[in-house]
Amino acid sequence: MSLLREAQRCIANQAARKQFNAFIAAANPDNLLYHSGPLNGHLIAIKDNICTKDLPTTAASGILRSFTSPYDATVVLKLQSAGAVIAGKTNLDEFGMGSHSTYSYFGPVSQNVDGKALSAGGSSGGSAIAVAGRECWAALGTDTGGSVRLPAAYTGIVGFKPSYGLISRWGVIAYANSLDTVGILSRDVRVARDIFDVLSEHDRQDPTSIPVSIRKGSAKSHRKDRHLRIGIPSEYNVLELSPAVRKSWLSIISALREHYKATVSFQSVSLPTTRLALPAYYVLAPAEASSNLAKYDGVRYGSRAADAASDAPDRSPLFARTRGEGFGNEVKRRILLGTYSLSAAAIDNYFIQAQRARRLVQRDFDRVFRASNPLLSEEPIGHETADHVVADDGKVDVLLHPTAPTLPPTLDTVRGQTALETYTNDVFTVPASLAGLPAISVPVASVDEQSIETKCGMQVVGQFGNDETVLDVAEMIENLTGREAT
Amino acid sequence: MTKSEPVRSLLFQSLSSRPNTLFSRPICHSCCRKLAGRSALYARGGGISFPTRTLQTQALLEEVVPFRKQLKDEAKRKRAALSGNGAKKKSTDKELISNWELTVGIELHAELNTAKKLFSSAATSISDEPNSHVALFDAAFPGSQPHFQKETLLPALRAAIALNCKIQRRSTFDRKHYFYQDQPAGYQITQYYEPFAKDGHITLYTHDGIDPADAPSITIPIKQIQMEQDTAKTLYQPPSTYLLDFNRVSHPLIEIISMPAIHHPATAAAYVRKIQSILKSVDAATAGMEVGGLRADVNVSIRRRKDQHGEDERAGHSYSGFKGLGQRTEIKNLSSLRAVSDAIAIERSRQIAVLESGGTIEGETRGFTLGSSETRKLRSKEGEIDYRYMPDPDIAPVVIGEDLVQHLRDTLPALPDDVMDSLVKDGVSMKDAKTLLSLEDGDRLDYYYDVVHELTIIFEIDGKKPPKKMGRIVANWVIHELGALLTTTESNFTPDLVPASSLALILEPLLHKQITNDIARFLFSRNLHWAHSREPIPSVPEIIDAEGLRLQSLSEAVYEQIAKPLLDENPKMVKAIKEKGQTGKIMWFVGQMMRGSDEGKQGKLEAKRAEEVVRRLIGVEGGKER
Repeated sequence: MSLLREAQRCIANQAARKQFNAFIAAANPDNLLYHSGPLNGHLIAIKDNICTKDLPTTAASGILRSFTSPYDATVVLKLQSAGAVIAGKTNLDEFGMGSHSTYSYFGPVSQNVDGKALSAGGSSGGSAIAVAGRECWAALGTDTGGSVRLPAAYTGIVGFKPSYGLISRWGVIAYANSLDTVGILSRDVRVARDIFDVLSEHDRQDPTSIPVSIRKGSAKSHRKDRHLRIGIPSEYNVLELSPAVRKSWLSIISALREHYKATVSFQSVSLPTTRLALPAYYVLAPAEASSNLAKYDGVRYGSRAADAASDAPDRSPLFARTRGEGFGNEVKRRILLGTYSLSAAAIDNYFIQAQRARRLVQRDFDRVFRASNPLLSEEPIGHETADHVVADDGKVDVLLHPTAPTLPPTLDTVRGQTALETYTNDVFTVPASLAGLPAISVPVASVDEQSIETKCGMQVVGQFGNDETVLDVAEMIENLTGREAT
Repeated sequence: MTKSEPVRSLLFQSLSSRPNTLFSRPICHSCCRKLAGRSALYARGGGISFPTRTLQTQALLEEVVPFRKQLKDEAKRKRAALSGNGAKKKSTDKELISNWELTVGIELHAELNTAKKLFSSAATSISDEPNSHVALFDAAFPGSQPHFQKETLLPALRAAIALNCKIQRRSTFDRKHYFYQDQPAGYQITQYYEPFAKDGHITLYTHDGIDPADAPSITIPIKQIQMEQDTAKTLYQPPSTYLLDFNRVSHPLIEIISMPAIHHPATAAAYVRKIQSILKSVDAATAGMEVGGLRADVNVSIRRRKDQHGEDERAGHSYSGFKGLGQRTEIKNLSSLRAVSDAIAIERSRQIAVLESGGTIEGETRGFTLGSSETRKLRSKEGEIDYRYMPDPDIAPVVIGEDLVQHLRDTLPALPDDVMDSLVKDGVSMKDAKTLLSLEDGDRLDYYYDVVHELTIIFEIDGKKPPKKMGRIVANWVIHELGALLTTTESNFTPDLVPASSLALILEPLLHKQITNDIARFLFSRNLHWAHSREPIPSVPEIIDAEGLRLQSLSEAVYEQIAKPLLDENPKMVKAIKEKGQTGKIMWFVGQMMRGSDEGKQGKLEAKRAEEVVRRLIGVEGGKER
């Protein structure tokens, strides 16, 4: 298909699928010119919490509803100079806070499968729906606790969250900066890899960008020809796992075992602190969010309540009313949670404990992976050296487990859930986020409760910096389940 | 601005004799101050006032106590202490005060002398056009991230070393949250959990202006020093407009936190003044309190003196490991030395009054405006902000190598105490030494060193030894003779008014008694005149020779020829000297000789020799050596 034809079809699809609400701002047709490069003329959609000069950047929040950034994010500049065309800005949960892309100032995102309105997953639901519905070639999302992988799993596409710090966050609106990672949504692994190759580069503008020296070390350790050992974490086989998802998990394991007899083996591994990951995440992410979102006060940019000054003529005339009107309920909930867990009375029991749990989760991963973590110094980790003496052949290269415990729920189900129930959607994606590990969700064949064929997301997680290995394994799985035509 | 550069580097050479590339910053303090002062006047004239702030607050642009006034106050206090009758009307207060011990801890915020902001590459500025130096991160734009400017560590480290702190190998940055329109991110980035410097101290001496009770010296421990960001400037335009200037946002600050170990208001002011002068001398701070470059928060508590009442101290409060203290209050945002000492004294009186009448002190934050007779409550402990300190996830820990610390230690400019010691050793009086240190932000001191340096070179070339008390004479000329000339000509000091080399050429023959003081003065004023008129300046030795100014030792006979007629014309005075011992009248004759004779008018007479001749002729020997 010619580039022009592809672009025309994407734009036609955007127009035809407006009801799914994937886009907040459509591309400006005058700006569809491109430079030549590896992403020649392909339309890539950008999640609307990534700054663009040409289009507004709202983060799906009322407080930024008419905000246009004075600068482009590094990832946007890199895509453009590699030849990509910005396909528009996609819908999301406000500031990335949500699992179903329903908490948006611009209305919820949804997908229609067999007449049912299903969750698109979140928070990068707009990007996922746009990719799945061929409204663009690929899309950028952000993944803080699963926000790229979950919507990819729910919409049957590929969602890749690289190692933390490989892709620049300069110009990415912070939700929880120690977890925020730019991710890629595409219809196949090859495209995700091509875009990753363009974006993965050290950026001096991002103080958390991984330096060149560590990047080089990780690249060296990647060998394609090696015998691959895949770990199956027993803690992920939870009671809440839906039968359909469990079945898909088991079938992909047997398919891999059968097809790659000579080169792949499986190993059961234990990640005992997995159960700590979700509560730790829901302490840390809101804590950082409460801090990061303090800047939205209506003083310098963004919306300001019309009668902001009427409230408190003494000191801070603008803030309370502006913030009260500008933020949605879920954002307010997380700001309050975070404000509480950082308060003098609670920080020791919540924030500090959660940081400890985060460290334990990371050590769990370091214990099961064959490759060492390039971010840690060589010395063994404290009192846990005894556990460390697991023979090398007990260790694995990647982990394989479902991306989410269930297939996508209907929006009706989602509306009936409490906030806490919604948070459990992230239970399988949060551990890799806490440890900053590369993780990809790949669609595999599945059959839902009504015996209808559908897709289910399987997740491949690797050691920090082993992004290439993770992509390789994802490609192996993709080849087994029948690669989608692009 | 650039003209002071070579002078400064000369000063460094003469003091440290080491290369000092790290210090050479193209910022001239006096220029900065002048510029800032101008903008302050403009702001006042424009009807803009500066509202009191709760935290990192706006300077109130008060006059700093001039140095001369400080000396006078000191002298007055000494006299009062000697006569024992100072301030009679407040004797009842004094009695009350003596029953209570005051304890004060001070937090000082100083703007660092850096080219760039703490977390962006925008330039620092003092009075540039508002909002002309604002990076995306400074205005907290969505998606922007901090870029730590590691060069800002250098002045911070110099300050910490000069204040005898232990430099921490690893330090981290934290977010301190509160909402205010001058705090764009909703938090200030500071060092709460792991500051970069700890456990310092400074010693204050009597000449620093401490309270007589602390004499001769007192050492104040410094708990820690942390780096942090400054806030925006708010300009309030009544009735309801707030203008914000983000140029100051993220200007690097250090906060210097003392232990609660100060017990007198005067010592508190001396502590602040001394830190200010140390920060200036190691090129760490841009400006002093007078332009808002330094702001103080003070913690004040009192406790009954135990030797008088023997009270149990177990019930007391403990701050930074100092036990048995009274409940403290905090007075925020004091922006002058006077405000520091006044606020402390006034808060002490308030706390005494409360406790003496059976009340209790509440832990609270209070404010004080200079000239006011009381501190006022800003908020109670219940209303205190919970800052929710959180490590900043975007900023990596700072690791400072011992080699850097050692290099900065080796190249640190001399501290005021050391300069003072070396000046006094060179024969300069304590008073003149203090004056040299204080005038023109140290520019006069640089000039002094330049003159000494030039003189030393001249003596070296001539193969002569410099006279022992050369420093005393040079200081006298640099302060008093130059000062008098500046007053009569209504000019301001600049180092090139009379170049140091010219003054050295005048002082060299004076030191060798080849010319008299009068002739030296004459040459000096001629030089000043030339500096103003831009005529080609003849060299000093040329003038001396051309105009025959060199002192030719006149014979004893010449002196007698001048003296005798005077004695003959005034027999009554001669008699008074001879018979009544009114030796003071000898000097009248000397004066007549110096002023009345042609030789005297030409400056060819030496007063000392004239006196000797008069004494001999009258027969009153043994004139005191002067």
